[in-house]
Amino acid sequence: MLRGTAMWILDSAYRNGGIDLWTKEGGAVTRVHHPYDPPFLVHFADPHASHEMIGALEERYSAEECTIRTVFGSLPGYRVVADRMVVEAIEEQAQYDVQLFNVDVRRDQRFMAEQGIFPCSANENDRFSHEVSHDLDVITIRIHGEPERSANLPEVELVHKRTERLAGPEGTILSDLFALFSALDPDVILMPDADAWMPRLRQLAERHGLPLPFSRNGKYRAMNSRSYWSYGRMEHKDAALVPDGRVLIDTERSFVYREGGLEGVLMSARLSGLSPSLVSRFTPGTLISSYETYEAIRRGIAVPFRKSDGETVRRISTLQAADRGGMMFQPRPGVFWNVEEIDFTSMYPSIIVQVNLSPETIGHPERRGFLPEILDPLISMRIRTKQLKKTDPAIEGIDSILKWMLVTCFGYTGYKNAKFGMIEVHEGITRQSREILLRTKEIAEEMDFTVLHGIVDCLWVQGDPVELLKARVEKETGLSLEVEHFDWIVFEPLADGFGAYNRYFGRLPDGSIKVRGIAARRHDTPEFIRSMQQEMLTEMSYAGTVAELDALWDTVHARYRDAVAQLPSAPVQEMVISRRISRLTYAHRCIEGAAVRACRRHGLTVAPGMKIQYVVTDARRYQAEPVWCAKIFDQQYYRGLLDKAWEEIAFAFRNGNQPECQPVKCAGLAVW
Amino acid sequence: MQIEIRKGMNLYPGSCNAVVAPVHVMVSAINSNADLQRFLFLYIGGNYSRVLSGIHRDSTNFEIRRAFTAHQLLSVLREASHTIVLVEHDPTLFEGAGKMLAPVARALKDAGRESLVILYTPAIDRTFAALMRQADRIIEIAAAEDISSRVSPRAIRLQRNGGPLTGGQRTLEVG
Repeated sequence: MLRGTAMWILDSAYRNGGIDLWTKEGGAVTRVHHPYDPPFLVHFADPHASHEMIGALEERYSAEECTIRTVFGSLPGYRVVADRMVVEAIEEQAQYDVQLFNVDVRRDQRFMAEQGIFPCSANENDRFSHEVSHDLDVITIRIHGEPERSANLPEVELVHKRTERLAGPEGTILSDLFALFSALDPDVILMPDADAWMPRLRQLAERHGLPLPFSRNGKYRAMNSRSYWSYGRMEHKDAALVPDGRVLIDTERSFVYREGGLEGVLMSARLSGLSPSLVSRFTPGTLISSYETYEAIRRGIAVPFRKSDGETVRRISTLQAADRGGMMFQPRPGVFWNVEEIDFTSMYPSIIVQVNLSPETIGHPERRGFLPEILDPLISMRIRTKQLKKTDPAIEGIDSILKWMLVTCFGYTGYKNAKFGMIEVHEGITRQSREILLRTKEIAEEMDFTVLHGIVDCLWVQGDPVELLKARVEKETGLSLEVEHFDWIVFEPLADGFGAYNRYFGRLPDGSIKVRGIAARRHDTPEFIRSMQQEMLTEMSYAGTVAELDALWDTVHARYRDAVAQLPSAPVQEMVISRRISRLTYAHRCIEGAAVRACRRHGLTVAPGMKIQYVVTDARRYQAEPVWCAKIFDQQYYRGLLDKAWEEIAFAFRNGNQPECQPVKCAGLAVW
Repeated sequence: MQIEIRKGMNLYPGSCNAVVAPVHVMVSAINSNADLQRFLFLYIGGNYSRVLSGIHRDSTNFEIRRAFTAHQLLSVLREASHTIVLVEHDPTLFEGAGKMLAPVARALKDAGRESLVILYTPAIDRTFAALMRQADRIIEIAAAEDISSRVSPRAIRLQRNGGPLTGGQRTLEVG
């Protein structure tokens, strides 16, 4: 048994009827194979009606009677060692009147959870620690060029202790790269666009008769590409080729790496019990669900295969009262000074723990729930990292991953395929959060604070002393708060003149500007416009008071006039719009549809959820070109975007009432 | 007990009915039926609903269960013991779960042996077509403008054989 064994697991994979664990000890990496063929569990609602099938399962697959422990309680059932086809046959023959468990749990994860071990740590007490040391050899491979379009292998850069640049004929580059790689024998490969380059490198290696050296045993795991909906947005995941025995991270496309760096990837692997290569390709939702699965298996709880328990029967009035989201207080648009932002730390997961919300505690509040129990250590860890990152920037990545995991754990309770989710839990959390925000507002007003704005777990107030307010709210709600002071803050207006919930910017005491929802922050803003707005914000960051801010009008306005003057001669590359596409066919004519068609016309394979980059060449005719072949841009269209970005900034100057703030329409272009 | 979908078009318990109709027709059929206050009524919805927001909140016997997956829909149908069961069709339940169409269609039919089952959609789609095959009655109520704008099968045949394009220019053809 491996329980209690200290070993640094670098990678894991299911191979040849068992689990390959790649461990690093004393600088050497070794593979140990553990035979493992785990059973799935099946509970029949009516075993008498299914006696023939049960007999067949006993005879052919040595099915054994067992007790299945679920979050709701124990069920009588059978343990069956068979593949997925047998699972589907059971479902079909039992007319879907069966409950199946532990069917789609990754075998390496299940093995580690059952053994009480986890990757990327040598100490079994380290799982929830932010301080885990490692001696991994890390290299970076950069291939200069676009993987989808480069016909030949462009220049390659390999960064280790020094940087090697490889150029020349394709075969020479490849053999040099492979030789260098083999000599260095790294544990971790950081590679921008790795998932796009790896299949190309494999093809090229075959063409030149060279063995691909990235795997430590010559084997690779293939992951398929897919498009999926996440938080109302279509996302796309590329196919991947993952080598055995090493960690390969696509630094360009990995959310976990982008947010948390290598430390974030290693911590995600520790928490979910999966290989770092795999978790680096996960979304935060998959990460939290993998964590839940690992915890369930570790505690001997069976993981349900299908989501078949519908919500409880309710009256229409009960549903209408329950099915609401978080609380919002609409702000009054304008510029405000000496504002405090009161933010609840991990509010939703804290509510889960504090109120004991879990599928099995709905109607049974006396039970300790599975979700509160497993989220508790994550929240404690997050509270620690949130404090530590203020003095130690190295913690920031780990903190960010924890934040995302905790953010998504709430949404996941309402997700239709969540293994341990239930819509009533989701509604219970939002109900509690509404009450907490309302109560916080009441407390603030009782203490003579002015409440300016509120979004779900955050309140903006004016008044003094904020420390007393913080202490009282923390005492009454039992949740911890973070307070951030703004010297001044601008709440932007909506088109109808009311305040926008999610568009604001303000100056923090250290002179930096916190920005939400405006052009400089949005991902689809062209660089030319983003940099104009960013420069204006930098200029405004020198103003510590509203009076000082007003004094900057001429400087900021001059920057806008410069941008207008420079626009016609600006490089096309600065007009690139990056957007994630949600579909391939569009019912109505639109720029995004035109961009998708243009990408396909130029031979790019596009899929829903993919990010495309394009330049609008004629907005009136709905014409756009992919970034690599755009020669011109539609000046009027980009001038419109520029003006919008400017209006967001101009509003800060006495709510846009400066005499010069009113635009004058001239030949379709606004001149300020 | 009966539900009058349209004048003279009644649905009775002990039947499984597939209804394609504009949302307002369905909502007014539910809201205007006094019987619904006396009999147990179960509404089964999916990930979104067009009908629910139009239902009067004071409908005392109107109960709701939402199913977010095809497996949940199957369980909810099997557990339903109401006099009237209205299922608002949600095709997204069957995305990647096409195998579930047959058992769900059977469960609708089974529930319709004792209850009045209405499988409802405002617009027919492939999954609804698969589910309605086992229904005792299929009712389609279309708005007048929808009917007038529809292309007749004859027009489609003509078009395929080189006839004029439907809705296209019909005044002058220069060869």
